[in-house]
Amino acid sequence: MEPGFLLQLLLNGIVIGVIYALVAMGLSLIFGVLELVNFAHGEFYMLGAMLAHFLTMRLRLGYPATVAVVTVAAVALGYVLYEALLVRIQGGGFERSILLTLGLSMVLQNGAVYLFTTTPRMIETPLSYANIVAGDLRVAVTRVLALGLGVLAFAALYLILYRTRIGRAMRGVAQNRDAALMVGIDPRAVSRLAVAIGIGLSGLAGAALAPVYAVHPLMGGSFVFKAFAIIILGGLGNIAGAAIIAVALGIVESVVGGFLPLVMVDALVFSSMIAMLLLRPEGLFGRGVRV
Amino acid sequence: MTPAGRRGCAALVGVAALFAIPRVTGNEYVLALGVSFATFSVLAGGLNLVYGYTGLLSFAQVGFFGIGGYTAALLVTEQGWSLWTGAAAGGLLATLVGLVIGYSSLRLSRHSFAIVSLSFALLCMIVARDWVSLTRGAMGIPGLPVPSLSLPGWQWRLGRPSDFYYLLLAFAVLAQALIYVIVTSRLGRAMRAIKLNEPLAESQGIDPLRYKLLAIALSALLAGIVGGFFVFYLTIVDPSIFDFYYTETMLIMVIIGGPGSFWGVLGSSAVLAALPDLLRFTTDLRMVLYGAVLIATMLVFPGGVGGWLERRRLRRWRRPRPATP
Repeated sequence: MEPGFLLQLLLNGIVIGVIYALVAMGLSLIFGVLELVNFAHGEFYMLGAMLAHFLTMRLRLGYPATVAVVTVAAVALGYVLYEALLVRIQGGGFERSILLTLGLSMVLQNGAVYLFTTTPRMIETPLSYANIVAGDLRVAVTRVLALGLGVLAFAALYLILYRTRIGRAMRGVAQNRDAALMVGIDPRAVSRLAVAIGIGLSGLAGAALAPVYAVHPLMGGSFVFKAFAIIILGGLGNIAGAAIIAVALGIVESVVGGFLPLVMVDALVFSSMIAMLLLRPEGLFGRGVRV
Repeated sequence: MTPAGRRGCAALVGVAALFAIPRVTGNEYVLALGVSFATFSVLAGGLNLVYGYTGLLSFAQVGFFGIGGYTAALLVTEQGWSLWTGAAAGGLLATLVGLVIGYSSLRLSRHSFAIVSLSFALLCMIVARDWVSLTRGAMGIPGLPVPSLSLPGWQWRLGRPSDFYYLLLAFAVLAQALIYVIVTSRLGRAMRAIKLNEPLAESQGIDPLRYKLLAIALSALLAGIVGGFFVFYLTIVDPSIFDFYYTETMLIMVIIGGPGSFWGVLGSSAVLAALPDLLRFTTDLRMVLYGAVLIATMLVFPGGVGGWLERRRLRRWRRPRPATP
């Protein structure tokens, strides 16, 4: 086999892995801070992509403006979601939060199907068919853009978590909720921000992938399934672990998918998740859940 | 008559009335609603056992349902088994899978069980769609043959809609009776204790894992068998048997009926099985409505109807009575 082909697969894998990471990190952040599994997380990815489609194809907005608008809208939606729904059930038990977000996901997904039908839509821009060619490598510009956006978001998240007061507070709550309360951290402000960032990342991921893949209302469901597997493998609540596993998963998926039917990859992801729970319940990178 | 006796009589009369329906009306539409009620009551009853009584939120029921359906369909069409052995094999396979999932994820926490059960259900759908050499892919296995039951001196060919109505209703009655016996026995009390306070239950000598696995295995067995029967009623099995729609519907049934309330969940299964046809919406809008109901229930009404009735009963019971002279 030619090394060029392998390199090509590797590159594609990194792009998709970075996008997985955006979704999974948001999920992990929300779980770490609020101890709440957000089943509607994939729907915000879907909404981000749908909104990006609307902005570029209907309003003829440029791509950078689209990404900015989608991200801001998703962050705002996160604030609203927290203040309207999640704050009322915090501390009300894990199952209640799952069922609430599941209901939200049903409303968003089926509402989108009702309004927009399941027909896939494509975003077509002048860049859609452009490629960057280096030797026998060809990479679509849209993928490079997605990769760039992902890396940018990584950097921003890192800066927020490790270089700001509120980020430190967020990590504090995630590590030890009671101790954080004791030193005077406002859990509500921290949770609100965590949800806003998490949803924002998910929306951004949708906007970043929208020009690469087709956009349709059911795209969130299968995506969030992978994100769940990723955060279990990386250790629930462990954000860096989630990012590493996500990129690795994207690469494995792409490389294996070049040779084997894709069903094998999905089966592989799931069985490694089960195996991980049996062998190392705290995930590859520690932190795990305790009841 | 004691309240328990009265309730038993009412249940008997209700079952007899349900069995009499095909004699009164041959209306296929009514029978289809009955089949839907019977099927969903088994699925929701199993979920109630796992979630309502034992406190494990499970999304795996639909996976067991579909595994039962596919196993029965494949064994009958390709190996020449009868529906009865095929459905039983489907139930057993579902039980086995349930035990594997439960054992591996419950060692960690209830949280991981919920997530793993969800991924399992999605994986089932992917396998059914993409593992074409086994499951024949998205087209599924159409044209399942008409099953028949032959006992010495008696032959029953399930060719008419009313035959499947009888079959699924009979199985639902059996399944509900089994669930009722369990939840009112020592087993059920242990499960409820685990749900309410696991460390306390453990300190009383209850091994939570065994009861949790029992609940999962039982719900998987029932869902698998009913799945086997249901696909022969449909005469086709395809990946849509794993659709999240089933999960959402049975969850709504349990949540509205009240987790941990046997009669509440049975009642809400009956109402919600009939409801889709009363509310003549498209499926999408109905699921939007279900989702909104789920959100509203979680915000204001977490115990469902069963929980509300229970609270009212307790309140009446606690109310000080005027002293009798």
